Amino acid sequence: MSPKTKKSILYWILLSPLVVVILFPFAVMFVTAVRPRDELFTYPPTWTFSHFVWQNFVDMWNVTNFGGALLNSLYISSAATLIALVLSIPAAYALSRFRFRGQGVYRQFLLITQMMSPIVLVLGLFRLMVSLGMVNNLNSLVITYAAFNLAFNIWMLQSYFNTIPRELEEASWIDGATAFASLVKVFLPLAVPAMVVTGIFTFINSWNEFVLALTMIRQSDQYTLPVQIYAQVAGRYQIEWHHVMAATVLATVPIAIIFSFLQRYLIRGMALGAVK
Amino acid sequence: MASVEIRNIEKRFANISVIQGINVDIADHEFVVLVGPSGCGKSTLLRMIAGLEPISSGEIAIGGRVINNVAPRDRDIAMVFQNYALYPHMSVFDNMAFSLKLRRQPPEEIKRKVAEAADILNLGSYLNRSPRQLSGGQRQRVAMGRALVRDAQVFLYDEPLSNLDAKLRVLMRTEIKSLHQRLGTTSVYVTHDQIEAMTMADRIVVMQSGRIEQVGSPLELYDEPANLFVAGFIGSPSMNFVSGTVERTGPRRTLVASDGTRLLLPEGRGMPDQSVVLGIRPEHLRLAAPGDGLAAVVEVVEPTGPNIEVITSVAGARFCAVFNDRHPFRPGETIYLAPQPDKIHLFDATSGRRLV
Repeated sequence: MSPKTKKSILYWILLSPLVVVILFPFAVMFVTAVRPRDELFTYPPTWTFSHFVWQNFVDMWNVTNFGGALLNSLYISSAATLIALVLSIPAAYALSRFRFRGQGVYRQFLLITQMMSPIVLVLGLFRLMVSLGMVNNLNSLVITYAAFNLAFNIWMLQSYFNTIPRELEEASWIDGATAFASLVKVFLPLAVPAMVVTGIFTFINSWNEFVLALTMIRQSDQYTLPVQIYAQVAGRYQIEWHHVMAATVLATVPIAIIFSFLQRYLIRGMALGAVK
Repeated sequence: MASVEIRNIEKRFANISVIQGINVDIADHEFVVLVGPSGCGKSTLLRMIAGLEPISSGEIAIGGRVINNVAPRDRDIAMVFQNYALYPHMSVFDNMAFSLKLRRQPPEEIKRKVAEAADILNLGSYLNRSPRQLSGGQRQRVAMGRALVRDAQVFLYDEPLSNLDAKLRVLMRTEIKSLHQRLGTTSVYVTHDQIEAMTMADRIVVMQSGRIEQVGSPLELYDEPANLFVAGFIGSPSMNFVSGTVERTGPRRTLVASDGTRLLLPEGRGMPDQSVVLGIRPEHLRLAAPGDGLAAVVEVVEPTGPNIEVITSVAGARFCAVFNDRHPFRPGETIYLAPQPDKIHLFDATSGRRLV
């Protein structure tokens, strides 16, 4: 066995407690989701079960109004992402291309506001939405999520925009493009990868958000997915755990996979901003 | 008419003055090179001509029209950038056609003009490739092709050959020059390489610290540099300098260096008690008999092929001599170098200005 292999095995052994802690809930979740209902609470608990019950997913879909909640989540996440992008792209472009007074302060402001969790502000936000008459309205979440993701979006986009050479736009001006034409025909096509990655991060953040959704949305048919799943457990006399777990699997696993692909772009974006 | 007139141009960044009062007149069809060390302001000046930098004060006119407040797209200029600035998401054809498409030219016309430029630059087989599939030299030619299709009044070059290897640089130098001879478009070329300046320019503008040191044809600058800076900047290997004072010796004058080395100056040259710097180009030094001329201790011998360059130490200063013949110099030996009398340059030690 080569020293490299020995090293790898050693590292895996050292990391294995962490891996177990992270994967264990997912494993329990999945196993609970696919086992028959009457095998949910065997004692002592077992990993094995008699047969896969994929029907759990179908039942869950109907019983928990998964489809409705899914649509709500999709709408809110997409709308919030769109608004956040539309607002952050010009801001990031200005930060990247122009020199103006207060630029440093503004960047620091962006950094500091990212440290604030929306959960801390939930009471104030609720009162704001009450005064706007938007409680129980999905758009209240759209606006809130868009606002809270703005700082991160601007920061990430600016880092990427800085890597697009200024000479390209200068060359297009000399070629005869107006500032707008240069932006649309030269700059934006090159910025698309950055915008896609940033948009997906905003989407995931909005998708997973729970506390604000729980606070703002009062009617069950307006629930987002995390809240809908929570509602299957909270305040119930009888909890259909296999349905709950099935719902959780569908709600979290695709997002986790997408995120694991994208996390290197997030790191690259952060690093770009640091090494200017 | 595509002359370029630069009148009293100044450029300030915050409170720092980068360019102080520059005046240059570039005639129609002329190829003018702006040359100088890094930070001298040559690129800034070029960018002001292009409209990519605002002008702090002064005027720039192209073809008689003042263009201070005219946008780059309306100045009828074309520019080749140091990093080529090719649009990475477009093919070579689209890169070259971009400006024509913006001007809403008919597709057949665009195709014809691009084909013409591609033909001149030997890019015909690369039209469908994207910039990342091209070598440095090919990208450079596409950048030039992009400028060529425009039929612009003035071509601007911002150190276009800096990113190429030495051999390619020599090749592209000739291509640019022959292109200029063929098309005759007024060109302003920025470089820090004085060899590029010498080989390509009709006239050279030597700049330092935001000021013009001298303007003239390449040989004018080489044979009669106006000051120490130009003398040392133009020419490779650079001119040799010896500082000293002038003493009277009968009807003639002698330069006395700080270490006592004495050199008889040609008739009529040198004012007594003047602090001067004597300049002599490496190729204007001849081997003299022992005791005559300047004593030089050989340090390094560099055979370049056509010449032998000898680095020596004269009066404490580094002296380079270039010989066509093959001499068996050895490090450590003392040789005697006599400057050709009619090729001696004298400069005032304080101001650096040329003394006639």
